[in-house]
Amino acid sequence: MKNEEIIHADEDGFFTIALNVNGELGHMIVSRNETLVEALRHYGWKGTKKGCDTGDCGSCTVLFNNKPVLGCMMPAVAAHGGNITTIEGLGTVRNPHPIQQAFVEAGAVQCGFCIPGMILSTKALLDKNPEPSEADIRKALDGNLCRCTGYVTQVQAVRIAAKKVKAMKKQQEKLAAKELAAEKRKAARKTAKKAAKKNK
Amino acid sequence: MKNIKHYAFPSSVADAMSILMNRKYKAIIMAGGTLVGKTIPASAETYLDIRSLPIRDIKVKGGKLVIGAGVTFDEIDNSEVCKEWAEGMLSQVAAQCSSQLIRNMATLGGNIARPHSFNMFPVVLLGMNAEVMIETKDGKLLMPYADLLKESNLKPGENCIITEILFPKKTKDMHFEFIKLAKTKSSWESYVTLFFSNDKKNPKFVIGALSPRPFCAEEAEKAYAKNKPAEEIINKFQEAVSAKAKGYRAEAAVNLFKRYLGAE
Repeated sequence: MKNEEIIHADEDGFFTIALNVNGELGHMIVSRNETLVEALRHYGWKGTKKGCDTGDCGSCTVLFNNKPVLGCMMPAVAAHGGNITTIEGLGTVRNPHPIQQAFVEAGAVQCGFCIPGMILSTKALLDKNPEPSEADIRKALDGNLCRCTGYVTQVQAVRIAAKKVKAMKKQQEKLAAKELAAEKRKAARKTAKKAAKKNK
Repeated sequence: MKNIKHYAFPSSVADAMSILMNRKYKAIIMAGGTLVGKTIPASAETYLDIRSLPIRDIKVKGGKLVIGAGVTFDEIDNSEVCKEWAEGMLSQVAAQCSSQLIRNMATLGGNIARPHSFNMFPVVLLGMNAEVMIETKDGKLLMPYADLLKESNLKPGENCIITEILFPKKTKDMHFEFIKLAKTKSSWESYVTLFFSNDKKNPKFVIGALSPRPFCAEEAEKAYAKNKPAEEIINKFQEAVSAKAKGYRAEAAVNLFKRYLGAE
């Protein structure tokens, strides 16, 4: 057993863990009694909600290594070495993610408590399956309970989100292709200039 | 979680075993964490996180379907190999477990290692005559899952680690039926789980959730194999069920069995 494969709590029962939250690599000091949702909220990621605390409601959903998991079922220390995405990692108020936009457009948000979890579950679904059927959507969201709605608007929101994400990806691909073409042109101009200089 | 002092994430089964067997650590194994996360005994001082162990493959080896103990329910649900085995029974069972969020975390090994009457795969493994590969302090051990249920010296997660679950070659082309009766489809708890195999030579009628461990209605299986009348098979099944449980859940199990036999 290598030393780096075991970490120890300090005298007060705190672990220092390394993890990446929303693209920021850093350390967290977490209590041995804390769950991941508690630790994230303690460090200011309060978009992740604490609901039932028994793994039933899904309001504590976060993406752990790109998979939606329940933050209330995972000891914080178990996140050591992982990549975490919370709702704050998707978009901002001024620049929302297409999935967030879709939920607003569809009127899928009432009290909003379940929405961060739903959006992250949607993100994982659309990353894996860009054109989900209604059954796929309902299956992917079956762990995110909503007490305000009847899930109809959320299903619509995911459908809208799928279109938006597809359009966004197309735009990104176009942009990337444009940038690549510009770079190629630049490189071609450079080599042409060099060749011209040599000829002179 | 009160007394956790160490968090170990070994990368090999041998390392995991050495920590598990080292009394200094008082380790408890955690894979998905859905069962362990909230029920850690006060005596445990080390989380033994086995998510990094190389026990996460789904493959066909020697004609048998081999599923690593660290494979999640979601991976079984979406595995093309599992979808092709036994008419996709394993994928269907995995898909019926709790919610997507739990399926992303919970592992097959955890489902059979942690004793909980509502766990679904013990019923299936017993019905399919599955075998388990176990790492003990004396080395690897391959044994029928049914024997592991009876074996009192081997306690997965305490003195051994389940590394693989093997499904016999012949189950590939067989037809099975799994019934979960629960409040909702994704409910983690069920009133009763039933697994039936109508293989004429070796039928299996397995009942779960009525007792701490799943059990077979052996007399009913024998009667079925001998082509006895449906009434007699049902009576034998009823006897087996009522020996373990009473009330509406036992009644539901018998009614579902009648429906399966086409006797109702």
